[in-house]
Amino acid sequence: MKAGSWFHLYRLLIKTSVRSRMQYKFNFILASVLAALIQISEFLMIAIVLYKFGAIQGWSLYEVGYLFAVMTLSKTVYRTFADEVHHLEKYLISGDFDQLLTRPIPVLLALMPQNFRIMLGEVLQGGFILCWSLAGMMRTGQVGWTAVPLTLMIILTGAVILFSIGLATATIGFWTTRIEELQNITEDAARTAAQYPLTLYPKWMSSVLLVVIPVGFVNYVPSLYILRDELGVWVLPAIAGVAALCLGGSLLFWRFGITKYQSTGS
Amino acid sequence: MIEARDLHKEFKTAVVKEGRFSGLRTLFSREYRMKEAVRGISFQVERGEFVGYIGPNGAGKSTTIKMLTGILHPTSGEVSVGGYNPHRDRRKAVRQLGVVFGQRSQLWWDLPVKDSYDILAEMYGVTAAEKRQRLGRFAELLNLDEFWQTPVRKLSLGQRMRADIAAALLHDPELLFLDEPTIGLDVHAKVNIREFLRVLNRDFGKTILLTTHDMDDIEQLCGRVMVINHGTLTYDGSIPSLRETIGLPTRMTLKFRGPFQVPDNFAASASAGVFRILGVEGDTVRLEADRREIRAVDIIRELDGWGEIDDISMEEPEFEEVIRRFSSS
Repeated sequence: MKAGSWFHLYRLLIKTSVRSRMQYKFNFILASVLAALIQISEFLMIAIVLYKFGAIQGWSLYEVGYLFAVMTLSKTVYRTFADEVHHLEKYLISGDFDQLLTRPIPVLLALMPQNFRIMLGEVLQGGFILCWSLAGMMRTGQVGWTAVPLTLMIILTGAVILFSIGLATATIGFWTTRIEELQNITEDAARTAAQYPLTLYPKWMSSVLLVVIPVGFVNYVPSLYILRDELGVWVLPAIAGVAALCLGGSLLFWRFGITKYQSTGS
Repeated sequence: MIEARDLHKEFKTAVVKEGRFSGLRTLFSREYRMKEAVRGISFQVERGEFVGYIGPNGAGKSTTIKMLTGILHPTSGEVSVGGYNPHRDRRKAVRQLGVVFGQRSQLWWDLPVKDSYDILAEMYGVTAAEKRQRLGRFAELLNLDEFWQTPVRKLSLGQRMRADIAAALLHDPELLFLDEPTIGLDVHAKVNIREFLRVLNRDFGKTILLTTHDMDDIEQLCGRVMVINHGTLTYDGSIPSLRETIGLPTRMTLKFRGPFQVPDNFAASASAGVFRILGVEGDTVRLEADRREIRAVDIIRELDGWGEIDDISMEEPEFEEVIRRFSSS
């Protein structure tokens, strides 16, 4: 299957998915509003703490907001396009994974269009906090306009990294079938931890978040350069390299995992 | 069209520990139980055949189908489907396959049937014109117009099955795998599906491999039947010769006009060895015979000596019974 026609397929799916989602209009609007509220209240919690005690280990409220927003938006991009990777367990338990293997396209490309998720709430919240943080830092002259395209770039590389972590975790399901508990650690807990500056954590833990589950590269490492001018401009290609490495590794692991698929009885 | 050579499939499952921390200990245990689901199956299916694949639950039917369709990798043995190995060249092999699992749908649950077809057409690189032409060909037979715009979740089981079969035909595959396509359907819907499958095989020349627990499906559709039990093929041939192999008795009921007499020494006679009297009630005699040992004509000739025969009826063994005997043997 050519890349162009897969893209076409994906667009078709988005179109139909939006249309089918709109069948439940009320549900869609309510879910979006609730998601945005939950996300914003989560950030307000941090904001209140910061407001009371000042900066976290030298990170200002704007900077923490930036870390938070980049993580949210990266996750949103990942989950919008590849939500089904996160929900692979469902396919493994029901045996619906069988169906995907009978398609003449790579299994992952057959899996992703099964569902397209519209995460309006997360986009609104992440976008709002990001604009607010960047605007605040621009006012004080901490960052210039170049931060905008760089931020968009790291949101994308971040999405690739989160996707790779999600895919590698899902692949373990070919052996264990159940992966929800594992996802709690590798996806949810790790991501939540990286919403704060990693300097906050003991050395071993920040190493884990950079090496074992590389969520630190989604927001923390790039913002060292973008916001605080630490490290150097080499950070940006390095981040892209880390993302490419994660993606390649997780794809190889996924391909190996598929050959171990045991299906279900019927 | 399909070739399977000495297929084996073993499943490895961790032995579940008992007692304290059983979950954790199972996870780290190195103890496994091997279950051999398929042990050494070989067969060939030629273009245009309609083959029934039957056997009791857990016999290895689904496992075989899954190996043929590239879903499971065999532990050892070779598969070739339309010239491709579904494990090395999965994408090329499955392009020529239509697969229908009766138990689950390949359509998008929340979308109208028509949208699912659009997505599948895009996935298989089928042009809009081809799609229209192919669906048009079957639209009437499957009555697709009836639910064209309906979301899949609102379809009846019969409609869903028709929609699913049409979906499997969208890319015009040579070969169809149908796993229990009539499961759970009412009699009327079953007849519809069967009729359609017959047309597909006879008029469109599709090669079909069908698994089912409904013996009527097999008897009415399949020219050839393969029986699997405990992971091995126990029979591969036509339905009449399957009946013969089993040698289930044919039941006969003979009605006499006027008085008749069962010979006193019948039990000791040579005939008693080849047919058995089940009962005598009024003017009728019920008996059963193994047709491999005695012809029906010879039985009638024998009984003609007992009195004047008025009427005869014969009952072939039920196919269901044939299979049951076969599977339990």
